[in-house]
Amino acid sequence: MPGVNVSLAHASDVLFMWTVLVYAVAMFGYSAEFAFSRIGRSRAEKPVPDERRVTPEQIGRVAVGLTVVGWLLHVGSVVTRGAAVNRVPWGNMYEFSTMVALVAVTVFLVLLTRQPVRFLGAFVMTPVVLYLGLAGTVLYAPAAPLQPILNSYWIKIHVVAAITASGGFMVSGVITMLYLTRTWLDRRASVGPGTAAAVEYGGLSRWLPSAERLDRLAYKVIGFAFPVWTFAIIAGAIWAKYAWSRYWGWDPKETWSFITWVAYAAYLHARATAGWRGRRAAVLSLIGFSCLMVDYYVVNTVISGLHSYAGVGG
Amino acid sequence: MTELLVDDTATQALSTAPQPAGAASRNRVRTLWRSLTSMRTALLLLSLLALAAVPGTLLPQRSLNPVKVDDFFTAHPSLAPVMDRLSLFDMFAAPWFAAIYLLLFASLIGCLVPRIRLHARALRRKPPQAPKRLERLAVNDRWEADGDAETVIRSARETLRQQRWRTELRAEPDGSWSVGAEKGYLRETGNLVFHVSLVVLLVGIALGGLFGYKGTVLVTDGSGFSDVPSSYDIFSPPRLGSESALPPFSFTLRKFTASYQPTGVPKSFHAYVDYQPTPNAATRPYDVTTNHPLSISGADVFLVGHGYAVHIQVRDKTGRLVYDRPTPFLPDDAMFTSHGVVKVPTGLAHQLGFTGFFYPTYEATPFGAQSSYPGPASPVLSLAAWQGDLGLGSGRPQSVYTLPVASLTNVGTKMLSPGQTWRLADGTTVTFAGLDQWATFQIAHDPGSTVVLVAAIFIVCGLLSSLWVRRRRMWVRATPTTGGPLGGGDGVARTVVSAGGLARTDADGFATEFESLLRRMRG
Ligand code: HEM
Repeated sequence: MPGVNVSLAHASDVLFMWTVLVYAVAMFGYSAEFAFSRIGRSRAEKPVPDERRVTPEQIGRVAVGLTVVGWLLHVGSVVTRGAAVNRVPWGNMYEFSTMVALVAVTVFLVLLTRQPVRFLGAFVMTPVVLYLGLAGTVLYAPAAPLQPILNSYWIKIHVVAAITASGGFMVSGVITMLYLTRTWLDRRASVGPGTAAAVEYGGLSRWLPSAERLDRLAYKVIGFAFPVWTFAIIAGAIWAKYAWSRYWGWDPKETWSFITWVAYAAYLHARATAGWRGRRAAVLSLIGFSCLMVDYYVVNTVISGLHSYAGVGG
Repeated sequence: MTELLVDDTATQALSTAPQPAGAASRNRVRTLWRSLTSMRTALLLLSLLALAAVPGTLLPQRSLNPVKVDDFFTAHPSLAPVMDRLSLFDMFAAPWFAAIYLLLFASLIGCLVPRIRLHARALRRKPPQAPKRLERLAVNDRWEADGDAETVIRSARETLRQQRWRTELRAEPDGSWSVGAEKGYLRETGNLVFHVSLVVLLVGIALGGLFGYKGTVLVTDGSGFSDVPSSYDIFSPPRLGSESALPPFSFTLRKFTASYQPTGVPKSFHAYVDYQPTPNAATRPYDVTTNHPLSISGADVFLVGHGYAVHIQVRDKTGRLVYDRPTPFLPDDAMFTSHGVVKVPTGLAHQLGFTGFFYPTYEATPFGAQSSYPGPASPVLSLAAWQGDLGLGSGRPQSVYTLPVASLTNVGTKMLSPGQTWRLADGTTVTFAGLDQWATFQIAHDPGSTVVLVAAIFIVCGLLSSLWVRRRRMWVRATPTTGGPLGGGDGVARTVVSAGGLARTDADGFATEFESLLRRMRG
């Protein structure tokens, strides 16, 4: 195809495969650390130190190292893709999805530099690997130049913001699900103190950080993603004004972005009022995340509108 | 929970907790107003708005695609009119949709006014007095310092001021000094800016809806347009205000060009126009492309579509030219297989009409003719000629893109390449003289868009400070010591300093900030 540097495009695909592979190994590393450290802790108060044995802690550190390596490969894949087609590398759903995954990993790594959140590794990397798997197979589109309507510098601003916010929402969605799991286990454990079931649920529950902490972490990430999403919608409206002569037209994509925005605004309000903390707020945030998924996948593939440039299914 | 420490009347006024009965029930209107302006109602209305928008993305909408709505009517002849009465095909202009956002609007204003008043008062209020026992606060510390209490407290206050804390120095009855400090008022300010900007945004949208206009026009290469309602193909006038206020600009389409990838995916579009802002102004050239509209006198001219116009010449059997002009054909697919109708009502013995297909890159396939590329690589025009009464005199409005073929007689079909001529049985000749392109322009004027843009910018700024600024308080107390192991004796005044603080919103990171402040105070 003209306008495409074939060898760079190929390099991008190869880097993409390596990214998924390295992430997958990191994912197993995090899972192993998570599982072994908790089992170790519940079996014995003080695990017997053994100089030659690998500690779960070390596995976790290696997993972080692998994540950084994967992240570099990931960046390489995105950059070579962009260079191959000589444009921004987010013009179709494949490119878009790999960018969202990149942001999710970036958010996780940034969080890691500020807070001890390595336990999140398994829970962030699993959806990321699955998501990239989906992107690399079902959503894959070969490198190709952009349609003229997408050829505006607003695509850089609008789409970067949308991708960043989505990556953030994805991480917060994962944390929220952990929060719900933790509260569910805690409730089970408190049903009949001392019973076998309670001990078992209580043991499981201690695998996760406290509900309070998970709740606050999810809120923090949404507090970051929501303004970015707001900005993405506004930038999209400005772009629409140039491209389609109106800033807002209730196109399905626009409408679902708005619905997503409202759902997260409801979450923020719910959290700001005392009565709606915790579980009900968490449900609202998951509704918001579902709306986001509808916005990206159902709207792009099933409902047609002006935004139908997904590059999927012809 | 940090919420428990919030003691403002502001939050009490916004509380979603049930109001005490007796007091409120005295006045029903007031009760209604109060419940309308509670945050729970706002949340409900907000969710309702989102929920109401969902069917609008699933059902065909007139504003987006009127053809799909017509298809829906054909497919569901009994259901569709009922749905239409419920405005389900004009969801976003429906009365009940408007009702939801007008209620939200009222609710928003109702809750903003008292909050702004409260916040204005809070801004003027001095930071609160130090609690008796600072060691009870979430973060606290205590140390001894050289110097008398007043000097120590003044230097502590200076440290806080340097970090842009708002402070208030107080002498306490027992001879000690305290400073109360508060920071992060920007959180509530940002929050109010955000909500007020939402109201302003809605006002801007309403302005555009009431005073804006838009229209679409198809212009063929070489022809012109002037901004009066009658020149538009489709025109939605302003709902308020007069049509005669349209800016008096005009333009001519010099040439439209499109380029494509070999696969047929478009690469670029350019509509080269010459425009005049006012009738007597000098003509200026402009290249209208996607994402690059032409702005003239408050109106914007956008390129929204394009296609081919086939230039046909018809001569009677004596060779006299009776028809000579380009006719726009409408594209049917991405490769610009197009259809159109040519009508020659005068100049011949019988009225003559043509229905035709145009293929910019002709390709014969087992399924019939089609275009395999949108550019004019090998253009072919396929025409069917019809004689009889074209129905133009019947007074019924008729589309320029349809011909009443049922009542006409077919007098032949022919494929033509540019330059070729076709002779009909009665001696009339038809020449495919050449190919032009046309472009459709949307011309829109939206007087509210600047308001909307400014409001949107404030929305983002307000949101950032509302979510990222943390509200926190701290107090420092300096108490002179009398003797003790360190004080007295040597003649140097000594002071016990205690400090405590609390984060009123998110507590993360506050302990670190507190420690670093104390480190500065100790010097
Ligand atoms: C009558 C309508 C509304 C009322 C009474 C209201 C009230 C409030 C209040 C009291 C807060 C402060 C919470 C806090 O910081 O403690 C707040 C925050 C907020 N509101 Fe509204 N609001 C209304 C409408 C809206 C609408 C339509 C949106 C847009 C989607 C919205 C989005 C937000 C956001 C994003 C925050 C920030 C949440 C936070 O600070 O954690 N609000 N609102």
